[in-house]
Amino acid sequence: MKRVEYPAPLKQLVAQLKRMPGIGPRSAERIALWMVSARNARPGEIAAAIASMSETVRPCPQCGFFTTEPLCEICADEARESELLCVVEEATDILPLERTGAFRGRYHALGGRISPLDHVGPDDLRIDALVERVRKEHPTEVILALGSDVEGEATANYLAGLLREFPVKLTRIAQGLPAGGGLEHADELTLSRALSGRVKV
Amino acid sequence: MLTTFKLRDFRCFAALETEFASGTNVIVGPNAQGKTSLLEAACVLLRLQSPRSGSLAPLVRIDAAGFVVDGFYSGNHLQFYFSPRRKKLALDSVEQRTAAEYLKIGRVVWFSNGDIALVRGAAEERRRYLDFVAAQLDPGYRRNLRNYETALRSRNRLLKMPHPRWREIAAFDEPLLDSGMALTQARRVLIAALEPHAMESQLAIGGAVGETLGLQYQPGCGEDFAANLEASRKEDLRLRQTRVGPHRDELILKLNGLGSELASEGQQRTLALALRLAQTRLIAAQTGTLPLLLLDDIFGELDPARRNALLAHLPKGAQQIITTTHLDWAQTEIERVFRLENRTLTGIR
Repeated sequence: MKRVEYPAPLKQLVAQLKRMPGIGPRSAERIALWMVSARNARPGEIAAAIASMSETVRPCPQCGFFTTEPLCEICADEARESELLCVVEEATDILPLERTGAFRGRYHALGGRISPLDHVGPDDLRIDALVERVRKEHPTEVILALGSDVEGEATANYLAGLLREFPVKLTRIAQGLPAGGGLEHADELTLSRALSGRVKV
Repeated sequence: MLTTFKLRDFRCFAALETEFASGTNVIVGPNAQGKTSLLEAACVLLRLQSPRSGSLAPLVRIDAAGFVVDGFYSGNHLQFYFSPRRKKLALDSVEQRTAAEYLKIGRVVWFSNGDIALVRGAAEERRRYLDFVAAQLDPGYRRNLRNYETALRSRNRLLKMPHPRWREIAAFDEPLLDSGMALTQARRVLIAALEPHAMESQLAIGGAVGETLGLQYQPGCGEDFAANLEASRKEDLRLRQTRVGPHRDELILKLNGLGSELASEGQQRTLALALRLAQTRLIAAQTGTLPLLLLDDIFGELDPARRNALLAHLPKGAQQIITTTHLDWAQTEIERVFRLENRTLTGIR
């Protein structure tokens, strides 16, 4: 007897959904069935949103953040302090920093970090573009806001080596205790870094 | 103390559940029934690592997605799920983001019939011994070791490229030096702390009176890691690997001032046991708690005198799980005996 399956368009949708991060076969099937049968699903609106997003949103050619314009909102903002340039690994690291409200400069997302074990080298990242920006925009300070793991540190060292020839102050964001946390919950490495990065009161 | 103990899809076991007693537990059974795997599971439950395998992936039963080890140790509920794609651990039913709290619950000493490799084998065997002890005493050690290995493997991968670029290689020097110097310092302190315990243990289990045992640290980074790393650049590039650092550390064992390779086979066996006993005593002294002792089929190769001396010198009150093919050697008090056959464990006494 022939095995009964879902109709081909439904199977195609499940196959497409499965490609998304964090979606396994079971979730893909659940979402597809919801789109087919739920009264308030409105799959047409979802499809339209996806289509309009993929047509209009692209990375900002200057900093790598998301935009629908020639330049992103941050790069186009004249009120931003062009003396400060903050380097991050991923474009998604920009919003958390923005939400702090503590930084009024511009950003540069590398699109990753140097990681030989994952076959990612400097040429795979937007490092040349960063050097070019430092040459043209003359920031007074470049802030390296990279991860504190081995690859993040190595990337920071590599950038520091490249940017040393420019008349620019190079800094790294501090590491230390989470705000509002007591000392007893901090691990040794965090404490020792907080201690070596202490500030004058 | 390990009481309730369950596992699922671990090595050859689909599922198994048992209850251990305090004191001495013995698991008897023919070879190739999974006795060692049971001890390994107990070790993984407490330490999240195996003394038999660098990675945990081979521990997953064939055709299964991942394994579970689950047990109560001194009243704390430990649960660990591992699959090559996902790890999950819970302490008292609360999922843990990091292993820090989980690893504070229990410590382990693993005595194996292959321990003579500690004396006769390559330096790597002794480094692994040091790492296993250090990780149980110093919560920061695991991270330093992991960071060092990442930095070292990254650097070596770059050195092996067709056209190595020095700026990129040098970017990994700082993380390599940071973690490497921390490892060197931790191993130096550990070896100094182990030495007196090893010496006493050696005497206790059959070393001749007046025999001295020395533990000497020979750091693979020399006196000044930064300077030596800098100086070995040319050689690193020629040989396409990092030639200085704690991955070249050696722990030198000296019996009466002579290298242990000159010792007799009996002396070497005693020495290996002394290192394990020293580990046990040091963990007890520094943490104030007795480690769980896992003794994997070690009695077959020991003469009765050494056997009894060892049993007499295991710390009083420490819980032991012993595997063996037969029970004739047992003169000591045994709390519980299990028989392992056809993948099932049955209490027989």
